[in-house]
Amino acid sequence: MGIGASLPRLEDERYLRGRSQFVGDIAFPGMLHAAFLRSPHAHARVISIKKPEGAENRVFVAEDLSGVARIRSVAKLPGFRGSDWPTLAKGKARHVGEAVAMALAASPAEAEDLTAATVVEYEPLAPVVTMAQALAPDAPLVHEQWPDNVLLDSKLESGDFEAAKRAAKHVVTREFRMNRQTPFTLEGRGCLAHYDGRLDELVFYCSHQLPVPLQIGLSQTLGISQRRLRVIAPDVGGSFGLKSYLEGEAVCVAWASLKLGRPVRWIRDRHEALICDASCRDYRCKVTAYADAEGKVLALDCEVIVDAGAYSPWPWPAGLEGMMALGNMQGPYDIRAFRGRGINVVTNKPAGQPFRGVARPISCVGHEMVMDALAWELGKDPAEVRRLNLVKPEQMPYTSVTRKQLDSGDYPRALRRALELIDSDGVLARQRRGEPDGRLIGVGIACFYEQTAYGTGPYGYSSWGIELVPGLEPAVARLTGDGELVLEVGSHSHGQGHETVYAQIANEVLGIDPHRVAVRHGDTYTSPVGTGTYSSRSMVTVGGAVDQACRLLKRPIAQIGAHLLQCRIEDVAIKGGAVVGPAGSVSFAEIGRAWYHHPENLPDGVDAAGLTAIAGHKPHDPGVFGYSTHAAVVAVDRDTGKVEILDYAIVTDCGRRVNPLLVEGQIVGGFANGIGNALYEESSYDENGQPLATTLADYTAPSAPCIPDVKLDFFEIPTPFAPYGIKGVGESGAIGPPSAIISAVNDALRPLGAAIYETPVTPRRVYAAIEAARAR
Amino acid sequence: MKPAKFDYLRPRDLAEAVRALAAGGEDARLLAGGQSLGPMLNLRVVAPSLLVDLSRLAELGEISERGDSAVLGAGVTHAQIEDGALSNATVGLAQRVASGIAYRPVRNRGTVGGSLAHADPCGDWAPVMMALGAELDIRGAHGTRRLAASQLIAAPLMTTLARDEAIVSIQVPMLGGKARWGHVKFCRKPGDFAESLAVVVIDAARDAARVVLASRTGVPAHLFATEQCLRSRGKAGGDAWSAIAAAIEQDVEEHALRGHWSGYDRSLHRATLTRAVKEALI
Amino acid sequence: MTTIAITVNGETMRAEVEPRLSLADFLREQCRLTGTHLGCEHGVCGACTVLVNDRTVRSCITLAVAVDGAAVRTVEGYDGDPLMALIRRCFNECHALQCGYCTPGMLAVAYDVVRRLPQADRARIKAELGGNLCRCTGYLGAVNAIARAAEIWSAGSERVGAFLAARDRR
Repeated sequence: MGIGASLPRLEDERYLRGRSQFVGDIAFPGMLHAAFLRSPHAHARVISIKKPEGAENRVFVAEDLSGVARIRSVAKLPGFRGSDWPTLAKGKARHVGEAVAMALAASPAEAEDLTAATVVEYEPLAPVVTMAQALAPDAPLVHEQWPDNVLLDSKLESGDFEAAKRAAKHVVTREFRMNRQTPFTLEGRGCLAHYDGRLDELVFYCSHQLPVPLQIGLSQTLGISQRRLRVIAPDVGGSFGLKSYLEGEAVCVAWASLKLGRPVRWIRDRHEALICDASCRDYRCKVTAYADAEGKVLALDCEVIVDAGAYSPWPWPAGLEGMMALGNMQGPYDIRAFRGRGINVVTNKPAGQPFRGVARPISCVGHEMVMDALAWELGKDPAEVRRLNLVKPEQMPYTSVTRKQLDSGDYPRALRRALELIDSDGVLARQRRGEPDGRLIGVGIACFYEQTAYGTGPYGYSSWGIELVPGLEPAVARLTGDGELVLEVGSHSHGQGHETVYAQIANEVLGIDPHRVAVRHGDTYTSPVGTGTYSSRSMVTVGGAVDQACRLLKRPIAQIGAHLLQCRIEDVAIKGGAVVGPAGSVSFAEIGRAWYHHPENLPDGVDAAGLTAIAGHKPHDPGVFGYSTHAAVVAVDRDTGKVEILDYAIVTDCGRRVNPLLVEGQIVGGFANGIGNALYEESSYDENGQPLATTLADYTAPSAPCIPDVKLDFFEIPTPFAPYGIKGVGESGAIGPPSAIISAVNDALRPLGAAIYETPVTPRRVYAAIEAARAR
Repeated sequence: MKPAKFDYLRPRDLAEAVRALAAGGEDARLLAGGQSLGPMLNLRVVAPSLLVDLSRLAELGEISERGDSAVLGAGVTHAQIEDGALSNATVGLAQRVASGIAYRPVRNRGTVGGSLAHADPCGDWAPVMMALGAELDIRGAHGTRRLAASQLIAAPLMTTLARDEAIVSIQVPMLGGKARWGHVKFCRKPGDFAESLAVVVIDAARDAARVVLASRTGVPAHLFATEQCLRSRGKAGGDAWSAIAAAIEQDVEEHALRGHWSGYDRSLHRATLTRAVKEALI
Repeated sequence: MTTIAITVNGETMRAEVEPRLSLADFLREQCRLTGTHLGCEHGVCGACTVLVNDRTVRSCITLAVAVDGAAVRTVEGYDGDPLMALIRRCFNECHALQCGYCTPGMLAVAYDVVRRLPQADRARIKAELGGNLCRCTGYLGAVNAIARAAEIWSAGSERVGAFLAARDRR
């Protein structure tokens, strides 16, 4: 049941019996419910707000929020412009759905009645809706104090770019548009604040993946000390990056609870979420590959434009997406010269926020679309061109042109295996034969790495110049009086299965049955100060801390055990949840009893700190690098434009797998997110900046029939830089699908001379691409 | 996302329902299964003053066959049809249609009458009832009347029903045992409203061939050239594919909504029509 | 306000409610049965699916007043039910849930599918699950779980008993 076991999750029981507790499930007597009145305009001055008569003390506007600071997001990057994000719109609203007023009532319905009765006079302004509009010389300004709408314009150059360019025999350029999406967690955001008079603290329940950063952020905006803020992230219904920023509504709810001395709850409903939750994946990119006669890429030149929306979130500022997209654009390939530019613009749309995969899906599309283009230009097999360029196992560890330190693995083998799984030769034969129904068949490939669990240093978070540099993770391990184990951690589990995998680590070290291990997380009152769950890092960093804490705990356990067994500590071993000596063994329960009930019998020299250990993990600064190859087979219907995935294979190396069942869950879950990205999901806007996908009837999230059965395989090549050789894997599945599916669709469309470089690949876009080729 | 306030009435019978509707004024509405109205209430895109709940009225639940017609109460749910009601009368067409409407939990409450009265341009039942040549029995505060299914929808989300009228039942002519049909619904993902929905019913015994197309714009409509072509083919027999394809082309190119359609829409409708005809013929 | 009486998990719950109160909010806020989740409140995501008179229903777009007198079963109401015990085991072993938010609705649909379509193949199971959105799992775990539960359930009560007993011993 230790590392490597496909142990079914220990936390499932409460979800399967309806005993889980999400923030909306928590209620306090006398609780008020909040609702927010939101701007119907993308860009407008707020002229006046008239509260409903008789409810003036139940409706609050920006001026009412005494003592509340704006949310300020900063980064010490050259040229970075921070934005102030008002908790409630002040002066003007910068996107549809920006909160303008908060109403409180005895029920959500009555609170909505109050917002409906509040009258706001607006003066609409010209909105900035597209990236092109944002960059136009005479563009309206989203933030008046800025000279333009550019939040960050960063450049990255490495290697002898000009020389490589001169040496090239082939040059291919492709441009791509990845349209805006929304993260769409099934549970919306929400929070509940109540003041605990006994402890003089505000208890803040919140659906969030970073409880400690949230505590810091609330403390800064509310102006109350951190010790008076207890943040609890209970069960959280999915996050994927969404629930990592500090939102104005949360600050308003906390403020209202303090002001009125009553519990206040707010649950963001789906309609609101689709209108004004932070969005993701809004990129344009242009990539040029310079290659020699064989197709070996000598240099890459790329430009990425990111639509960051109206505001920069806290703690992770906008601008990181553009930098990450550039930093990973060379992918798993051995390319020695690089030039890139990343422009992050602001528009009158909701803020952008990292979503599972963060920028890597566009990087992956970037390097893979030029690999395909090169292959087609050279008349070579796209797999062959990739093989020629992939970093070879004998080159590991390999420092990329963008300073990524690829640590381990066999990239060409992953490619080979993925092609085997889809029987690429068989598919090619089928392609040549043609389909009886006239559909076109295509094969697509995506090779990529995933940088996971990076550290605090110059290769990690501090390179972003952000105010809150995360990275280190502690864990507490405590043996109870009856011989069971409690692990307290600062990561948050909202689907990842930490309550199982950390227990498996404990089993690996102490031999204790995972069913006798409790993992506690998500409560700043009881958890050690870690930074939460993000960047595919928890298994490496918090897993590493749990491993260390359990190892530390071995010493007092062995000391007490040796005493009870009347032998020397050198002669005992910890096995199967017991201390085993030359002439017998004692269980952890006996150890616990000896320490907690009868310490008077223990010898001098027993550590007085007892059966509690705290340890931490400092991740390898450049991170550890998992990688994957995705291979897709699609059929394209020329008449309807519909794309069907006929076959799909994913080969992944995430090092040692702590729980293969859960690793598969992460891959398949990410895969489904990737299919949404590739084929279905789009947050579109009209020319006035009005969102067009405001219900799930318009925002097409993939459902079960959209997800094909997928073939999975794994390599377990350990990284030297993490405990047990583990590499992170949380986002990997979501990175490849847009790229692999685009590659396959374009392979299918080649006989028609058509190609599509935009996601989602909707039937309409496929048809338009075919028509455009026909017109040429 | 909670509805605005409204009053609620659960009438004892249909007579009371239509009286209440008449007395309830401009903003009174009928509630059947609520699977379309429910979301609209929650989103506050409608804010009725009064909801008259028809969902318990036994007189709307009839399922029977009378001579050459089947009678389907307006309150029959999609799930009942999925499970076989009307299967015999339509040689399986109704079952196929019902099982493709949204999802089982929606089908368990959503009703045929409610769906027809909601008049979504791409609702599932209106084009099918048109292709079956069905008629609706309507009851209002001032009496009853019968209406051809093809006369029901006036415009998207708007019917020709008076404010105090309700659909009581649908009379569906029984298809002959050798009748053939085709039904092709194109949507982004299963369970969505269709972007294009083509229904073909060919009943040689009645000398009937009906072809109906529904799309996201306008109202569902018969395609007369294709119908004509299929009828004459029924008599002549033999291979007339090119003639059918030409008729479909003509219907698409001369369609009243053509001005609202993009090149993609035309290609899509051509495809669903062609596939529905093929399904009916092969 | 309207007075209603709904039998929830075998117990009659009487309450004065506003007509605009949904069945989901009635269950969650008035009965404090919070296992039924709200994911969209417009009938698309399926998280709120419960059984009403033994049929799956979206509780977010069903008014509480409209099901006055009905029998409702929520995720909290399956104690001692062998089919649900089997489905829960299969969900656990096939890793059919991650964040768990969609799970109550998935379970209600799984319960319906195994009883109504015990012979359903994978494509049919996917189609039946089409109205239950999940963002974490990619669905394949739930499809596997339902297929497995249906297979064991179809083999009869002895097989179900043996399967559950083997798991309980572990």
